[in-house]
Amino acid sequence: MASSETTVKLDRVTKRFGEFTAVKELSLDVRAGRVFGLLGPNGAGKTTTIRMIVNITAPDSGSILLFGHKIDPRTQDRIGYLPEERGLYRRMRVGDQLRFFAQLRNFHGKQVEKKIDEWLARVKLPEWKNKRSMELSKGMQQKIQFITSVIHDPDLLILDEPFSGLDPVNVELLKEIVLDLKRAGKTIIFSTHQMEVAEKICDDICLLNRSQKVFEGSLREIKSSFGRNSVAVRCEGGDGVLGDPALVSKLVRHADEAQALLAAGADAQVLLKRLINSGAVIEKFEMVEPSLNDIFITKVTEPA
Amino acid sequence: MKKFLTIVKREYLQRVRARMFIVSTILLPVVMSLFGIVPAIILSIETPPMRVAVVDQTGKMFTQLGRALSGDDADQRTAARNDNTVLRRASVNFVLEEVSAANQSAEQIRASLDQRLNAKQIDGYIILPPDFLKNGKAEFFNRNPGDVVSQGRLSSALNRAAREQRLIDANVDPGTRQGLFRPVELQAVKIGTGVKERDSGERFALVFGIGLVMYLAILMYGQVVLGAVIEEKETRIAEILFSSVKPFALMMGKLVGVSLVALTQLAIWGLAFSTLALAGARLLAGRGIAGNIPTLPLSHYIYFGLFFLLGYFIYATIYALVGSMVTTAQEGGQLAMPIIAILVVSFYLFFPVSRSPDSTFSFWVSMIPFSAPVAMLVRIVTQTPPFWQIALSLLIGFSSVLAITWVAARIYRVGMLMYGKRASIPEALRWARQA
Repeated sequence: MASSETTVKLDRVTKRFGEFTAVKELSLDVRAGRVFGLLGPNGAGKTTTIRMIVNITAPDSGSILLFGHKIDPRTQDRIGYLPEERGLYRRMRVGDQLRFFAQLRNFHGKQVEKKIDEWLARVKLPEWKNKRSMELSKGMQQKIQFITSVIHDPDLLILDEPFSGLDPVNVELLKEIVLDLKRAGKTIIFSTHQMEVAEKICDDICLLNRSQKVFEGSLREIKSSFGRNSVAVRCEGGDGVLGDPALVSKLVRHADEAQALLAAGADAQVLLKRLINSGAVIEKFEMVEPSLNDIFITKVTEPA
Repeated sequence: MKKFLTIVKREYLQRVRARMFIVSTILLPVVMSLFGIVPAIILSIETPPMRVAVVDQTGKMFTQLGRALSGDDADQRTAARNDNTVLRRASVNFVLEEVSAANQSAEQIRASLDQRLNAKQIDGYIILPPDFLKNGKAEFFNRNPGDVVSQGRLSSALNRAAREQRLIDANVDPGTRQGLFRPVELQAVKIGTGVKERDSGERFALVFGIGLVMYLAILMYGQVVLGAVIEEKETRIAEILFSSVKPFALMMGKLVGVSLVALTQLAIWGLAFSTLALAGARLLAGRGIAGNIPTLPLSHYIYFGLFFLLGYFIYATIYALVGSMVTTAQEGGQLAMPIIAILVVSFYLFFPVSRSPDSTFSFWVSMIPFSAPVAMLVRIVTQTPPFWQIALSLLIGFSSVLAITWVAARIYRVGMLMYGKRASIPEALRWARQA
């Protein structure tokens, strides 16, 4: 059901727990057929927002529309949800387990078996169908947990920190699957605080901090709006130049190179000239796009 | 509804398929029948009869004692064969031998009998002095004074024999004698009906039995309900479930699923026991002992079933409520202790209610869901209360089950959102309100 419309629409949603406001006046649009990154540091309100979308908790005020409707049991069955807090029934066999979760989403009949086999093959665990989940390694269990969220072929898939604790090979595997699902027209909400991961698969992002939205939009637009004001430098010497606050507002040293964020009004050409004049031996000097992480940190630390 | 059934199915199949369930289901009847059969086998092992010599200085007691020991009161045997001094009378496990006391001093007799005792020709001897019937004092010498069973039997047989002989000496004729000892019979008659209630004892036994089975079912399966409710917390599945199923459906599904497991097991055991009991009854009937199955109206059996279910569910939901508040089964076990206390107290109500089934007290305890199952069943078999009372009690009870499940579901959901925090009672109340 990939329409050009918005799949999820939040309108001034607020949720409080006692004195604590977990989500404040949050409005956002998740466009159909795109990967939407819900980003923010721990405790920003990501999980609470997701729980309201999947109807585990209700907002105190504001409205949430799913596929253009208020949430009801039918729309609920079109969602696939992989929470951050997730597990499996330890003593249940993998096949039985997946069948159970499919049935809980009102997905019955013969196709269930077919889907189970398909997905197990996809994550390379077909021979584990009749094993109890307690016999599986942690990584295998995580892949099975992932299948529980997609077994009923949902139109909206919500993944809360899906890659945490996975090895790089499996991260790559799941990332591929997520992108395939997107190509198949599914809408995906992806929540994480790992910016590098988000950067690679998100089309749109929404950044939350302290219960509020910091910004929202397509990743492309956000990046270009920040401009190329960052320089990757690898050189010997020239420390005095890089440390000049008139030129470089922030310097992050990595193992063998440094990333310099240009100060407002500073010119990269001037920086290069000054470095050469200072006698530094330059091996690399490259204008780079700001990483999502940089944007994130800039935005979060920026005075409101 | 379909999701609710999915939950029920999972809870049921997971447990019934478990090795533990299969083993315990088979093992209990086996163990119980062993308890029934082994003592019977042990008791049936034949021990050699005890050989007892009787020195009857009264000259009248030997025959009486033999009769009393064999439990044989048939009159034709009164003319016993007392022509032989070494008359042997075989009773179940005594062999008596009369030793003539004539022409010998007491010391001589004792010396010779002691000799035979030491030579293991006899196992003991009794000396009945000439004034035995008057004083009622006799002596029993044996190698094994610790054998209280044999001594007890001997003593009571001697007592009966002496009584018989005294009556004979008092010239009471056998007919009068029998008349004097005929036992009385107290019969309970239910007023109004004019029907003789010959089986009220069995009815109480039946109600008591139902109460007991209920009690055992709760003890065994309360913990299972608790564990089932905590399972998703410990495995962190709750959040996935709640995105597709309502907490109430989940809670109810668990309760029903586990209860069906309990009923399955009880049904299997019930079947096994009734098979054994029928076999036992046939065995007893073969020996001339008739079993008494109380005759009750069909409606009573329906009530038994309904109140059994009510009793089971009301306590099972309390376990579910506890499960919704805690994070581990261990914590739950501690919190569940008061439940057992309520259960025991409600069980003791059996006695006051059976004494005055139509009192105000009995009415109220049969309306309170926690005591209703036992109290109402006692009332039904004693003075069946009006139908509206029974219906009201069931209505209150089953509504409470739903209400408690609903509250448990709310507490469970909020508790899950609070990330595995154990709820205090006031917190739980607040959660139930705010969820």
